[in-house]
Order: sequence, then C-alpha cells, then structure tokens
Amino acid sequence: MNGFSAFVRKEATEIVRTWRIWVLPGMLLMFALTGPLLAKYTPEIIGAVGGSQAAAILKAIPKPTYLDSYAQWAKNLTQIVLFAVIIIYGGLISGERKSGTAVLVLTKPVSRTAFVVAKALVHSVFLAVAVTVGTLVTWGGTALVFGKAAGGPLWTSAMAWLAFGVLFIAIMTLLSSLLGSQAGAAGIGLGVFALISIAGLWEPLAKYSPVGLANAPMVLAAGKESAILWPVVTSLVLSCLLVALAAWAFRTKEL
Amino acid sequence: MTAAVEIHRLTKSYGHKRALDRVDLEVEEGSVFGFLGPNGAGKTTTLRILTGLARPTKGTVRVLGHDIATADNAVRADIGFLPDVPGFYEWMTAEEFLHFAGGLFGIARKVLDERTGVLLDLAGLTGVTTRIGGYSRGMKQRLGVAQALINAPRLLMLDEPTSALDPMGRKEVLDMLQSLRGRTTVFFSTHILADVERICDTVAILDRGRVVVQAPIDELKARYGAEKVVIEVGEGADELAEAIGRMEWATKVERDTNGTIAVTVSDAGAASREVPAMVAARKLPLLRMEAGEMGLEEVFVQLVGGGQQ
Repeated sequence: MNGFSAFVRKEATEIVRTWRIWVLPGMLLMFALTGPLLAKYTPEIIGAVGGSQAAAILKAIPKPTYLDSYAQWAKNLTQIVLFAVIIIYGGLISGERKSGTAVLVLTKPVSRTAFVVAKALVHSVFLAVAVTVGTLVTWGGTALVFGKAAGGPLWTSAMAWLAFGVLFIAIMTLLSSLLGSQAGAAGIGLGVFALISIAGLWEPLAKYSPVGLANAPMVLAAGKESAILWPVVTSLVLSCLLVALAAWAFRTKEL
Repeated sequence: MTAAVEIHRLTKSYGHKRALDRVDLEVEEGSVFGFLGPNGAGKTTTLRILTGLARPTKGTVRVLGHDIATADNAVRADIGFLPDVPGFYEWMTAEEFLHFAGGLFGIARKVLDERTGVLLDLAGLTGVTTRIGGYSRGMKQRLGVAQALINAPRLLMLDEPTSALDPMGRKEVLDMLQSLRGRTTVFFSTHILADVERICDTVAILDRGRVVVQAPIDELKARYGAEKVVIEVGEGADELAEAIGRMEWATKVERDTNGTIAVTVSDAGAASREVPAMVAARKLPLLRMEAGEMGLEEVFVQLVGGGQQ
C-alpha cells in the first residue's frame, strides 16, 4: 500500500465514521422515499384541505403519473442536493489545512497532488453511490405507488445530474484549495451555479458544454429528449482539468 | 561526519517582514540538536521550510543530502515531523492513526503492527480506545511524537515537543529523544532551556530571525562560563561582596547563603589578580576561587536578552 491508497482509504473511512455519512445520503434517501408519495398524493391533499375551489382547479390538471415522481427527484437533485454539495465541499481541502491534519499527512510520502486527487476522487465516488442508491429507491418507490415506472427517463436524468454533481465537486475542490474559508468558497460556488444556470438558457452553449446539464435532468425526467452526450463528456473533461488546477494551486500554497 | 541538515544563507520574508535573515546552520547526523529561541524568533518558520511546508525566499536548504527545493517523497520517507500543535483526525483512535501514518509510508502490515504496539506503549496510550477527539493536549502531544517515529526516521524534527507536557510527560519525551542519540538525528526547537541543557549535544540560538550562536553545548557554556568567577570565603563575605561590586570589572555580584560570591566579570584577568589581593587585605580565609560555569539560561539571556527590551 502506498501513500495514495492509504490516504484514499482514510478519506473513505472518514465518510463512514463522521457526519458525512448522514448528511448527503440522509437527504437523498429522504427525497427518494417521500418523492413518489408526494407526487401521487399532493393533488389529493390539496383537494382535501383546499375546499371546493381547489378541487375545481385540480380537476382541470391531468392526473399525476410516474413522470411526476421523476420530476420531483430531478428537481430535488438540481436544486437542494446541488446546493448541499456546494456547501459541504466548500472546505474539502481548506478544512484539513485549518485543522492541521494536512501538515501531518503532507510531511509524509504523500504528494500534494495525490492529496487533492484522492479527495476529489473519493467524494465523486461517494456522490455517485449515494445518488445511485437514491435513484434506485425512487425507482422502486415510484413503481410501488404508480404501478408503472419506466427506467429510461429516471436513469438518464440521474446520470446527467451526476456528471453535473461531479463537476461541482471539482469546482469546490479548486475553490477550497484557493480559499481558506469554507463559507467563502461555498459563496463563490453558488455564484458559479447561478452563472451556469443563466448560461444554460443560451441553446448553442447548452448543447455543447457542461452548462447544458443545469437543465437537462429536468427535461429528461419529464420523458423528453435532450442531447446530453456533449455536455456530459465536456463536463467530465472539465472536472479533470479543474482538479489538476486545484492540485497545482495547492502545490504553490505554503502550509 | 556528514550533515543531516545544511542551511545556507536562508532568508524568509513575508511582505516586508523578515522572519529569517541569512540563517546558516549545520546539524550533524546522529546528534541531538537543540534549536533555541524566544517566541517569534523564527524557529517554526525554519522547521516549516525544512519539511517543505513553506519555501525559502532566498538561500539553500539541504535535508539528508537533498535540496529541499526539489525534494520529493523519497526525502519525506526518511524524516519524522511533529508540528507545534499537531492536528489529528479526531474520529480515529491512537492505534488507527499510527496505522494510517504507517500506511502513508507504505510500511508492511506486520512491521507496522509491531511498531504501533511499541510506540503506543512509549506514548503511554496502550489500551486507550477512546477517539483522539477526547484526548488532552498532553496525550495528543505524546501521540504526535509516536507518529513522528512510525517510519524509524533518519531525521526527526520536532517543534516545541515538550511545551504542552506535564513534568512527567516531559521527562518521558526527553528520555526517549535522548535514547535516539547516535541512531537518529534529532532536531528540536524549544524555548525551554532546561530541555536543551538536559539532552542536546549541540545548540543553536535564534533571535529575531538570526542565528546568534551555534556550538556544542559544552563549548558554549565554557565560552561564557569563563566570564564568571566564584569565590568562597570562611567569613566576611558580605563586606567582600560589596567591595567587589565596586570594582570596574564586576558587572554583577550574587550572594549565596553559604558564603559563596558569584561575580560576573567583564575582565577575567583583572578579577583573578585583584580578588586574592582583596581577600588578603581583609585577612579573610579564602576557601575557593574558580571560574564558574554559566547555565544555558544565563548564556541565552546574555545573547538575546538585550534584544528583548
């Protein structure tokens, strides 16, 4: 076992042994469990508490389908979960600098590049596992509640979002290498998200770059077509470049 | 003997502030080297540069024969380091941390298990199963020393290793460092003079970013010890001390309860000629007169004390 793999193992164990195991998976699991039920019964609940006027409005809108459950999942991912990712990972690198643990690790045979790459890698895998489990639960829950749940729209939507989520882990890796403050990095990360969302409105850019992933999960979850190959590929390439840049930035820092 | 650490004209600036100013230092392999200085002298900065955590503004630094500017994992594999305030993963136990630290060096499992046992014992943490988050500062410091030894380093660098320890813990750590003499080069910074006096063979004194002196500890004490004269008379010590105090060459006169007079002198030759005459003139019995040894504390105060005012 070399320094890199020992550090990867530490990072993975840290997820399981600290608050990290509860926050993202907990949030995803809660959304996965409640999403299908909310999609199915929200109109009925509104009808029950809203009186005759609400009931009349509800009659005019179509009955919810399994796609509404998927839309719920995609909406939670693109909004709440992404925000959580940005805030949680604002201190991915700077947290270890602040606590002094980076000093003990980096004076041993672990390069700063290995340190940064290991973190970005482990947390991308963690996010992938958590989102996959959450999507599975959503899928199963939707099938139970609606009796029908085609896999295609849900999984393409979730995987497109995952590429976007990984891109944000890379962005936060870079920001937390550059900035000492978790809140500062998170603030800038949210700013980047806002910019990407706005840029995604310009179709040519959305078609060929990662900004297309801001909206694609919602479109795909609705069962519509969205060409995501270019956005996904460019997003993964950009993620690698951002992590490389983060490693370079961290190497130039004094600890 | 070869040098484990060679520092040549090392300067480190933060903006306009010079933390280190043309520092020259050489630490021989196998020695226990005390790096002494008041707070803010630049000791931690020097150690951060030696461990590659910070970069020199100017000058060259060689650690175990490698230029630190281009040093990689190969050099780090041979050093052990304890920072002044070690940061641990608080969710780990001491044993887990030592295993993790050993894993970073790629130490084989069997060797690592053995070393972990020995080092936990050394740190007084055998059987402690609580997480590091619940440790006292002293426990963390002892674990810090243990983790710095996990790779059986050729060069052990410690930043103020005893400052957070109680007297027993301090003694244990110092005994342990002393036991490494000849096998591992120990380079440790401190502002506790007694620690240096107790275990170091060589010492460098740093003051406001400059090395004031570097010498073997005996030589240092002898060099400054010659400037002190101790006189013991059977009676009349008070009057004699007063008379000596009026002499031009006497810079400081101290009285002991048993009739001993310790005089710090500016001219040892004049003192050795005139003191016997003064004793004889008063018809006092001269029991003892010798060049006294200055403690490191006095040397330290003499060398850096003026600058502290």
